[in-house]
Amino acid sequence: MRQLLKGNYAVAEGARLCRVKVVSVYPITPQTTIVERLSEICASGELDAKFIKVESEHSAMATLVGASSAGVRAFTATSSNGLLLMHEVLHWVAGARLPIVMTNVNRAVSGGWNIWADQTDSISQRDTGWLQIYCESSQEVLDSVIMAYRLAEKILMPVMLTYDAFFLSHTTEVVDVPDIELVDEFLPPYQPEFKLDIDNPRMFGGLMSPDYFYEHRYTVHKASQEALEYYPEVCREFRDIFGRDYDITEEYRTDGAEVIVVTTGTITSVVRITVDKMREAGRKVGLMKLRMFRPVPVDRWRSILGNVAKVVVIDRNLSPGLGGVFADEVQAALYSLENRPSIYPVVAGLGGRDVTPADIEGIINHALSSDDPAGVPLFWGLKE
Amino acid sequence: MERTTQRMIEIPRDVMTGEELWQPGVLSCQGCGGSLAMKLALKGLGRRTVIVLPACCMSIIVGAYPYSTSQVPLLHVPFETAAAGASGVRAALDIRGEEDVVVMAWAGDGGTFDIGLQALSGAAERNEDILYVCYDNEAYMNTGIQRSGATPAGAWTTTTPDKAVKEESKKDIERIMLSHDIPYMATASVAYPADIYAKFKKIRSIKGTKFIHILSPCPPGWQIDSADSIKVSRMATQSNVFPIYEVENGKYTINVYPEKEVTVKEYMKTQGRFRYITDDAVNAAQEWTDRKWEKLKGMLK
Amino acid sequence: MAVKKRSDLGVIYEFKTWRDITPMNTSAGTMLHNKTGSWRTIKPVFENKTPACQNSCPAGNDIEGWIKLLQQGEYEKAYWHLKREEPFPSVLGRVCFRFCEEACNRIPFDDCVGISALERFIGDRDASLVPHPDLPEYNGKSMAVVGSGPAGMSAAYFGRLLGFRVAIFEKLQVMGGVLRVGIPEYRLPRDIIAAEFEGLAAMGIELRPGTAIGKDISLEELTGRYDYIFLATGAHGSRKLDIDGEDESRRIMSGLEMLRKVSLGEDVACGKKVAVIGGGNTAIDVARTALRMGSAVTVIYRRSEDEMPANPEEVLEAREEGARFRFLAAPERIELNDDGSIKKLICCEMELAPADESGRIRPAKKDGALFDVETDSILTSIGEVPILDYLKGIAGNEKDVVAVDGTLMVNTGGNGKIFAGGDIIDIQRTVVNAVASGKKAAIAIDCDYRSADFGDVLKEISIGNGSALSFSRYMNWNPETPQNIHMVVDSEKIVYDYFEKAPRVMQKTGDAETRKNSFNAYRETFTEDEAQQEASRCMHCGRCIECDNCLIFCPDMSVLPEGDGQFGYEFDYDYCKGCGICFTECPRHAITMVSEEEGDK
Repeated sequence: MRQLLKGNYAVAEGARLCRVKVVSVYPITPQTTIVERLSEICASGELDAKFIKVESEHSAMATLVGASSAGVRAFTATSSNGLLLMHEVLHWVAGARLPIVMTNVNRAVSGGWNIWADQTDSISQRDTGWLQIYCESSQEVLDSVIMAYRLAEKILMPVMLTYDAFFLSHTTEVVDVPDIELVDEFLPPYQPEFKLDIDNPRMFGGLMSPDYFYEHRYTVHKASQEALEYYPEVCREFRDIFGRDYDITEEYRTDGAEVIVVTTGTITSVVRITVDKMREAGRKVGLMKLRMFRPVPVDRWRSILGNVAKVVVIDRNLSPGLGGVFADEVQAALYSLENRPSIYPVVAGLGGRDVTPADIEGIINHALSSDDPAGVPLFWGLKE
Repeated sequence: MERTTQRMIEIPRDVMTGEELWQPGVLSCQGCGGSLAMKLALKGLGRRTVIVLPACCMSIIVGAYPYSTSQVPLLHVPFETAAAGASGVRAALDIRGEEDVVVMAWAGDGGTFDIGLQALSGAAERNEDILYVCYDNEAYMNTGIQRSGATPAGAWTTTTPDKAVKEESKKDIERIMLSHDIPYMATASVAYPADIYAKFKKIRSIKGTKFIHILSPCPPGWQIDSADSIKVSRMATQSNVFPIYEVENGKYTINVYPEKEVTVKEYMKTQGRFRYITDDAVNAAQEWTDRKWEKLKGMLK
Repeated sequence: MAVKKRSDLGVIYEFKTWRDITPMNTSAGTMLHNKTGSWRTIKPVFENKTPACQNSCPAGNDIEGWIKLLQQGEYEKAYWHLKREEPFPSVLGRVCFRFCEEACNRIPFDDCVGISALERFIGDRDASLVPHPDLPEYNGKSMAVVGSGPAGMSAAYFGRLLGFRVAIFEKLQVMGGVLRVGIPEYRLPRDIIAAEFEGLAAMGIELRPGTAIGKDISLEELTGRYDYIFLATGAHGSRKLDIDGEDESRRIMSGLEMLRKVSLGEDVACGKKVAVIGGGNTAIDVARTALRMGSAVTVIYRRSEDEMPANPEEVLEAREEGARFRFLAAPERIELNDDGSIKKLICCEMELAPADESGRIRPAKKDGALFDVETDSILTSIGEVPILDYLKGIAGNEKDVVAVDGTLMVNTGGNGKIFAGGDIIDIQRTVVNAVASGKKAAIAIDCDYRSADFGDVLKEISIGNGSALSFSRYMNWNPETPQNIHMVVDSEKIVYDYFEKAPRVMQKTGDAETRKNSFNAYRETFTEDEAQQEASRCMHCGRCIECDNCLIFCPDMSVLPEGDGQFGYEFDYDYCKGCGICFTECPRHAITMVSEEEGDK
């Protein structure tokens, strides 16, 4: 059923369709409308779940550790400082192999209060072990929630879906909300092999000596990598049932491109129309939309970017002293290629600063006109 | 006033000789009150129990991967999340239709008085149907005896070193918990095992947040002989430093009126950790203890 | 006992590659493979010890042992258990000096356990039980016991239990010695004594009343007919006041003589006003007997009431019955009328000097502080002495007592194996000490018969730090004797926190007015309820009664509830870390810590 939904409501719909059993959320702008909506549907019975109104994001994630360990499907959503407060537990969840799904509305991280779009919050969680998938539209967010549980529960790893504050969280779009019966078909109930069980008492998360911990960490790494194998399968099945196509990484008009722009989140939409416009003008430009950031789909990135001369990576995040993190990781992925492209790292749109088609065109032109990327980030739009 | 000795409520023999939910081979120090408290608690609770364990001595005592001494399911959680983790397990068990299973968060004093207080307060405010147990050994013992909010005034720790002993009194966690209007709050001590057993048996039938504060001696941390661990704990109650009582829906009951009464000074003298305390501080501790005891007795009316 | 050791159940998880990390890295199984017992440097052992009461009992009465049986309602077993160390519960339950009660570890807590009353309950309840369950075949040797008082009875009893054919020779027509003619009937009814002798007779012990040694049969004849002789003729003579006027009047009589006459039904004229001189139990017996014969009685004692050796309870009862006491007074001289009647007794006031080196407070006369006591009779009770005429000619008996060696043997210069005990040797003159000497003599005689070294035997069977001997240990009646018989559990070793205060149950006693008018026994044996109530006060010092404290308090789950025989528990040394909590929290000190390396305690 097609509905007009804000991004946050699409998330709530996704959780409803997945029949999550325990929801534990703490409000933070701009995620709050998810909390409100989930409260409503839990209270009304539309969603048969326990809603735990915790006193912090840290506790939100910690309650899900309990719930998921007890073998039920668990969900939460947060943003920015909230995500950072969860940080410790995020590591815990991945190490414990709990298939929790969380949506994070990408918002700038304070100090210096800022509630607008910026990916530094989720980027800061890249080493936690959580799978990260960056979304561009409300439809993608909803669909990704459903696919995320399929993936998470198969490989026993947590999945974080992210999307931009306000540009998506508070923007109304037409969203096709699938029938719950179809979702049931796609996503069976969660039945883990091990859970907190009186009849099969086990201890979860015990102390691991150096004799075991290294191998344990390796299993976490292996599980994460399994996503690269399994997620395309999940996407295919999803397409077969729901008719919408997703992938680990999305290519757009990359054929014969001289420059490919690598983006995430809502900037992708801006880049897409700019690419269309520039292609019409005969410029050989293309787009690689980076969806899955953890695990790193190195092979996909290489196959898409390996034969292009120039790659522009736009980061709406900043690792001070380095630059944009996506650019850094893309460079690292391509480094071992013999004919690796020139990389043009660009930082743009921090803290919700608008990135317009004109900005994108300017960035692409900059790359096209320069033969010396210098390797240092270009701070696009910085008031100098 | 009614006098109570510790054997007034017996632990039935078949319970003591029955199923061992807490098995030997545990990694506790000699004379550990924590391991004993857990053993007794599980005797009262029985098999249909899930333990939620934040960082504390018990995280080690229970055994390291891939082994566990616990014969009930046990979930390790981050240090400050005992009450939150337990809330989540509770929610999931309710979803699974296992409302009768007791979810017990088992945390040390650091995880309760200090770092875990926020989550605990949140859970208590929500009146989560969980049992939260603080086994209180009065310092961060697992990390090597650092001061906590539960460390009594006058005690040496590695962060109140030598003569710079702790000056502040122990945080009154019991009143903090009672201010949440939870249905059940009790203190207990490993010196009074039958009382522990009775309380853990009792909470099975109480819905909502239950809080039990167990004094749990730590021979290395208190600098006592392991053999004296129970004796010293008993003196804590005999001196009214640690009264044994319970509050059920606002109604106070003092469960142990020791036959023998000892002074706070006598209690402190048994422990090396108080060796630097001044006479003034001993007197202050005695006054503090007397005031609290009178206040507690006043609550009986 | 567990079929399988718990440590056998420990399973080691095979771990070779990262693929062996369990899904969701869960742990399962147990920690049983982790034998924490290796941490231990000292270890606990269950070890029963000697309670303070038993330690203080000259006869080594295993009081805790039979009280435990009593509590279980096993009265018959309690009776026979009691008789293994102390053969005459109905008698001692009435007249014992009760060293045990003075030593009882309950005293610092509330009040001693009424051991004597419980013993009496057990004795009276099953006094007629025959046959003796421990009776052996005769060993072919014989033993003559001279004197049928408590020492003789005891030697005969234990001698018979050791296989000797025993005969008891008694000068009087009635059996029982001092029990029969020295202790008034109201304290020890005659049928009680008779019943004990029935019991002895039923064991095959020959009773020979009316047979005086040196008169009816000579000692030589006896030594010729019997392999062993045990002399226990008691102290039936009285020490004299040694003051002017003493020998001139028949109104001055030894208290013992008066008691004997009353006991035998002979006429005694006591007089209206009687002065009893002395402060021991005999003096009180004399005083109370005189009261029952209608006299007004004043007891005169040279020290103060605190120093009086008589049982305070008896003193109180004598007071209730009307006896008056004059302390710190000693007879100075007696003035007689011409007819030999007493004009007056002149006494001197005494004062107590500070204690001397031996700790005993000596009374001293106050100069010139004389006063008169109006009386028409004087009964002396300042000490008993043996009458040893029949021993004349046997070496080493010049003094008041018979000289014996460490085995109670008399040096006869090769003229027979003669042993001696009771009041004729140098021991404290109480019934229980007499019983103890009889036991010791019987064991010494058996050692002689078996050519065993009595000194070596003593080391094995001496109870606690005293001189009492364990007959059970001698007979190998284990495990009824504690493994650590030499360690005494005194009050410092008791954890009083585990006990509840409880008032002592007293035997019902008739009122003073009724009892002073009769020689009938006035104290009632406990009812079963009373006995159970009083027995429940026993703390079972040094003896495991399976209170479960060790089981409950072990933080390492290392006390197994299945014991092996003597104890209801077993330590699981695979896991016991040696923390010592069980040792500290054992309410009654039935656990001992021993060094892991040396096995030392």
